[in-house]
Amino acid sequence: MKFLIAIKNTKKESKNILEIGCKIAEGFSADLTICYIGKQSKALIEGDVNLARKTLSEWNIHHPGLEVLEWAFNILKEKGFAPNSDFDVDNLVEEKGRIRMVLSKTTNYQIGLVLREGDLLSELNKEVKHSDFDIVIMGSPHRKRMINKISQFLDTSIFFVKNFNPNWNYKILLCVDDSRATKRAVILSTRISKQFDAEITSLTVSKTSLFGKGYRNAHIWAERYLQRIGIPFNSKLLSGNPVEVFVNEAGEDHIIIMGKAKGNEFLKFIWGSKPIHTAQRANCPVLLVN
Amino acid sequence: MKFANELTRNILFWVQEKRWLIIIALLGLVMYQLPYPDGISPAGYRTLILGIIVISLIITEPVPLPAVALLIAVLEVAFHIAPAAEVAKTYMNDSVFFIMGSLMMAVAIVHQGLDTRLALGIIQLTGNKVKHIVLGFTCISALLSSFVGEHTIVALMLPVGLSLVRNCRKNKPIPNLTALILFSIAYGSTVGSIGTPSGGARNAIMLEYWRTITDGGVTLTYFQWIIMAYPMVIIGMLSTTFLLQLAFKPEFKSMDTAIRRLKIHVAHKGKFSGNELLTILIFAIVFFCWIFLNERYGLGIIAIGGAFLYMATGLVEWKQVSRDTNWGVILLFAGAISLGVQMKNTGTALWIGQSLMNQFSPFIEQFSVIPYLLNIFLTTLLSNIMSSSGTVAVLGPITLSMGGDPAYMGMTTAISSAFGYFSAIAAPACMIIYSSGLVKMTDFLKAGWRMAIMSTITLLLIYKFYWPLIIGFTNFK
Repeated sequence: MKFLIAIKNTKKESKNILEIGCKIAEGFSADLTICYIGKQSKALIEGDVNLARKTLSEWNIHHPGLEVLEWAFNILKEKGFAPNSDFDVDNLVEEKGRIRMVLSKTTNYQIGLVLREGDLLSELNKEVKHSDFDIVIMGSPHRKRMINKISQFLDTSIFFVKNFNPNWNYKILLCVDDSRATKRAVILSTRISKQFDAEITSLTVSKTSLFGKGYRNAHIWAERYLQRIGIPFNSKLLSGNPVEVFVNEAGEDHIIIMGKAKGNEFLKFIWGSKPIHTAQRANCPVLLVN
Repeated sequence: MKFANELTRNILFWVQEKRWLIIIALLGLVMYQLPYPDGISPAGYRTLILGIIVISLIITEPVPLPAVALLIAVLEVAFHIAPAAEVAKTYMNDSVFFIMGSLMMAVAIVHQGLDTRLALGIIQLTGNKVKHIVLGFTCISALLSSFVGEHTIVALMLPVGLSLVRNCRKNKPIPNLTALILFSIAYGSTVGSIGTPSGGARNAIMLEYWRTITDGGVTLTYFQWIIMAYPMVIIGMLSTTFLLQLAFKPEFKSMDTAIRRLKIHVAHKGKFSGNELLTILIFAIVFFCWIFLNERYGLGIIAIGGAFLYMATGLVEWKQVSRDTNWGVILLFAGAISLGVQMKNTGTALWIGQSLMNQFSPFIEQFSVIPYLLNIFLTTLLSNIMSSSGTVAVLGPITLSMGGDPAYMGMTTAISSAFGYFSAIAAPACMIIYSSGLVKMTDFLKAGWRMAIMSTITLLLIYKFYWPLIIGFTNFK
């Protein structure tokens, strides 16, 4: 599998994203790419900025994004993910709209370091399309609309890391419904649960007290799967507004895992969807499975 | 179903990526269908629509800038604003040559590594005291950028400043000292760029507008520009030093360690090399030609002559020049100047200028300064959104038609286009120091409001008292 971790600075929030990303990637033995997406200069001054950056690099003052990538590389190296070599700017390769560092492969993982400039959504989309990533791990954007766009337009699973505290013992809240992505969410949750040594709560929520056949079947399938894998879990069937129930049940100490909705794309763009609203309102990490 | 959903998603993604293009196209279409306002010809109204489209496209950037330049030419012909042959003629002129030549010369100068020489010179001049370093950085950035061009000096000065900041990082954070050093270069080079026509592309664009747009054609030599604008540079660089130290109180007063490390870094350079001397010599020749021969040959021809000399002497290779020159910007300025000329020819600029002034007509009789104040306000606003050079290119024809003396109004526009103190996008130096993460957006506001007030007051005082005094001497009509 291939995971993409998007970070924007060297602050604690980015470190937490790297921590959780590495931990999950370890569980899947996935290849990891760290991507920095920087703000692009206005086109009118872009040439001047590039000229100045050229002289700056001669003074060993590199693009701020490279400093972030170097910081991330050193963290990965500490964790045994990255090869035990130096971060060497001479190994940078300029490709179509992106700068990539050529790195040798470690025993288990292929690490990639990528620098991009421009609009967050469109650059992430290009990167996902370029390397066909299975999961994108990133901080939760402050703007709710951006969460909507990222969830809808990136054709991959997305893990929004929000309020993550590496010292807490997280549990997993698995949201089960009749969507097609639910099965994949259940399968992914078992592997993440093993990695975090976390108990799973399988939760199905209906707006009314009546549970439709699709919901009941999905709930039973999830229970059977979790039993078969042998992971400690408890399951709940609750009534109420699904998003509110998910958010309240999760609190701050759960990782929410749920499938992406497969409804009408146009309506999703305008109104959002249950997974999108959950990602927008939750106070904990949320994984939306494609 | 899956295919339909995927198609819808792709279309929605494209729409949200190109939303500004769609909005601007729809706006243009709606405006085209609306009845013409009074006092403007059909061609003038279509030029107005084109102007709005172009400004919106430059600000929102839904398409690459060179594409905007091409669109200007296409729509000027398609909207029957001017015939194809005339449009082609307005695309190439002396100021486009100047922008091209100065960008190419910048590549050549930066390529020689004169930044370390500059660093040594500054260190020797300023010593270790923070206040002297800030004064030195501001003044040297301002003085050099006024002659060599802002983009070149930013590329040479920023490594010195950033290296100094990095070398003096101690255990505790030094946000104020960092901001102080970096802003002294960013604002210094901006303040200086208005000093001579070669300070920035916008000055050359204004010279072109004066020549082609004003009735009778205002002409100003290199030296006359200096006489008019340089007091603004001198006052600007001194007040910048003072205001920056007021906005950012440095964490310590001396930078011994940082200066020592910088000295070690640049000490290995040795004596001046032949190439470095030749680089300076060629620029000196160009500079003297700008002063003494610009009336006969034009600034642009001299600038591309300089670029030729750099390549002919082997100081820079064509490959390098070709790779590092922003050709898209040259094309865009060519398009913007062409649009400016058409705004004059079709009466659009006059109509906009008069419409704006009519809103203030009761006050203008009492306060003749109002057109200048409005000019400064509009130019400052746009330069903070769009960058300085772009502002003069699109706003020049309008401000020249807003009443008041065209020479004063043009100079006011050119000078106040450098007041982009509030945002990181107005000037390359601001963008680099912001993207380095060492200064915050709030720092721009913290220093910017002081700078904007000081610059506006200085400019108004210069307009009111200094320009009338020297108008006979400059004799630019």
